[in-house]
Amino acid sequence: MAMTRREAFKNLAKGSLPILAAGCVSAALPGIAHAEEEKKAPKGALGLLYDATKCVGCKSCMVACSQANGLKPDTRIDGLHQAPPALNYFTKNIIKLYRTADGSDHSYFKQQCMQCIDPGCMNACMFGGLRKDEETGVVWWYGGKCVGCRYCEIACPFHIPAFQWDGFNPKIVKCELCRDYIAKGAKQPGCSGVCPTNAVIYGRREDLLKEAKRRIAANPGKYFQERVYGEHDAGGTQVLYLSRVGFDKIGLPDVGENSIPSGLKYSHMVYKWLALPIAMYAGMVMFAGRNLKEHTHHLVEDQKKTGLRPQL
Amino acid sequence: MTRWERSVPVYGVPVFTRGFWALVVLIAAGLVLTVYREVVGLGGSVSGMSDPFAWGLWKTFNVMVLTGLGSGGFAVGIAAWVFNREKLHSVLRLAVLTSFLAYSTGLTMLGVDVGRPWNMYWLVAPWTWNLHSPLLEIAACMTLYATVPLFLENLPPLFEYLIYEKPKYRGLAEACERAMAKVYPFIIGLAYILPIMHQSSLGALMILGGNRVNTLWQTPFLPLIYVWAAAFLGFNCVVLCLLLAKLAWKRDVDPSVLAELNKLTVWTVYCWTAFRFLDILFRGKILHVFTDGYYSILFWTETALILGSAYVLSTEKARKLATMFRAHLLCALGGMIYRFSPTTLAFHAKDGATYFPTAVELTVSLSFVGIAVLAYLVAVKKLAILPGTNADWLKMAKYEEQVKPGIQLTGYAPVEH
Repeated sequence: MAMTRREAFKNLAKGSLPILAAGCVSAALPGIAHAEEEKKAPKGALGLLYDATKCVGCKSCMVACSQANGLKPDTRIDGLHQAPPALNYFTKNIIKLYRTADGSDHSYFKQQCMQCIDPGCMNACMFGGLRKDEETGVVWWYGGKCVGCRYCEIACPFHIPAFQWDGFNPKIVKCELCRDYIAKGAKQPGCSGVCPTNAVIYGRREDLLKEAKRRIAANPGKYFQERVYGEHDAGGTQVLYLSRVGFDKIGLPDVGENSIPSGLKYSHMVYKWLALPIAMYAGMVMFAGRNLKEHTHHLVEDQKKTGLRPQL
Repeated sequence: MTRWERSVPVYGVPVFTRGFWALVVLIAAGLVLTVYREVVGLGGSVSGMSDPFAWGLWKTFNVMVLTGLGSGGFAVGIAAWVFNREKLHSVLRLAVLTSFLAYSTGLTMLGVDVGRPWNMYWLVAPWTWNLHSPLLEIAACMTLYATVPLFLENLPPLFEYLIYEKPKYRGLAEACERAMAKVYPFIIGLAYILPIMHQSSLGALMILGGNRVNTLWQTPFLPLIYVWAAAFLGFNCVVLCLLLAKLAWKRDVDPSVLAELNKLTVWTVYCWTAFRFLDILFRGKILHVFTDGYYSILFWTETALILGSAYVLSTEKARKLATMFRAHLLCALGGMIYRFSPTTLAFHAKDGATYFPTAVELTVSLSFVGIAVLAYLVAVKKLAILPGTNADWLKMAKYEEQVKPGIQLTGYAPVEH
């Protein structure tokens, strides 16, 4: 029995209705419930304040970091000096140099995990291999839940997590603000403990932010954009930066004030309570069921004519 | 003119051809290299991946591109079962087979790609899942899809094989067939909603890539555009398989079904392209379409391949099978490039880092494609997958009578319901 055009349209319209209705409902749901709150740093959030204008590029912090974390120094460049080209699975902390081509301007800069308030890596992680400490807000890696998919590397706007590319049983390596080192009794992380110029200091995020703002106020015109990088960037980070040269020059991308996970908010709306998928499923089962009956009827008719077993 | 009435195996052709053994060699090489990769890790000579470019072919091609190509199962299925396009039932077995092969090899590839696959066992403990992770949605949803609804959809040809060729299991197979018919709508409902979910999540993956994905591709609607592309890629793949079957085994084609599939492809592509341009326009990035150098060229390459092929398919020229074949091939190529762009071709890695796959990566990647091709070739020769006519079936019955006497392929009386 062939379907007329009219029937086809009717069928189409009927099929789309529940799907459309479900779409409207699930789009309205987040409004009816409540808007997802913006994530705030925990009360005891710890962090670092790095002032690039004070850094002399001595790299003591890199050595201290390796020691505090029990990492083998990355001397692959010449077999002698600890001079990794970038953060990697030997290196949780690095000092780099920005310099213009003619040498007229330069600045050292430090890279390590920014300890985001709403981390992209943690949002990406399938089973919670990356976790955020509830008290201190430190983002740390838990090997028992990591499948080594490296999605954290895609999701981190600061390019921090490093994957162990060699060998069996690889790890994700990133700064955990010397979480284990401090648990063993250290007063502060390796890097801030040895800095001769106090270019990097350790403390509660609140206090560090106050100190950074005090420095900006005390030195008008000294700091780039007269602002603290990390106060709002990427939804706020617990590691804060001050710089004289542009932030983009020292490895801090312009990522805006929304956190990385907030990019998925529309997707979360679609999946709210699984309402839309369930409604679509119900609609499709209904129509498939009806069409199956018709189809089976055709099959039996055919079999009468041909004597061949019907095929589903 | 031929009308496809039922699926008929490709009979009277050897399974163990030279191509078969060539594929076996490729697969063997791939498996050896897979073991090597598990021992020495992903770095160095094994893969071209690095920290700035953390995802390579195995994820970006074998999973993100090829499962798109293997989306015929849900794209053709929805058209046939939900929107009642009666004609398309004839190509459904082929569609679900291509889907199953693409998904099963893609998922295995994912297991080879990840560094700590043993931790995947957490998939069985839903309370430990991070429900905000798009990758979790993919891993859970794809696995569920491939092992339950898609697997079940592929069983009827196997039941049929048992019924005809293994009298010992005939009763059991018939019982299974009847049971399946009872719950079939619930199975196929699941077989359509799950791919819509995970194919869109494949797009959602790169949303977390933020501004490292070029602005022409990065959009909050990336999931929708991604699953939409999967739909026409699925149609492309099914048509290409049908035309290749004509080329390889002289199977007759049903022009009305191909016309229907062409029409679906054309309209899916037209709407997809329009939506993509509107999205770019409303995000205020339309100038990037012209001024972004390499990225603009890449964008136009995709658009030209996909839209151009769809245009050709909409004209009378596409009645010629060679033209139809080329159009679908180029459309599939464009769609595959689109699915490949956000992760690789339009991905700004840190400090301009680049990625190029190593020989090991390429071999392993191709060997997994080889597994799918090999399984396909065996399946269509042993099982009733490819569409044919009742006359074809009777011819086959006559042929089989001589080869395997005692097999009843015709003369079945209808069962009263």
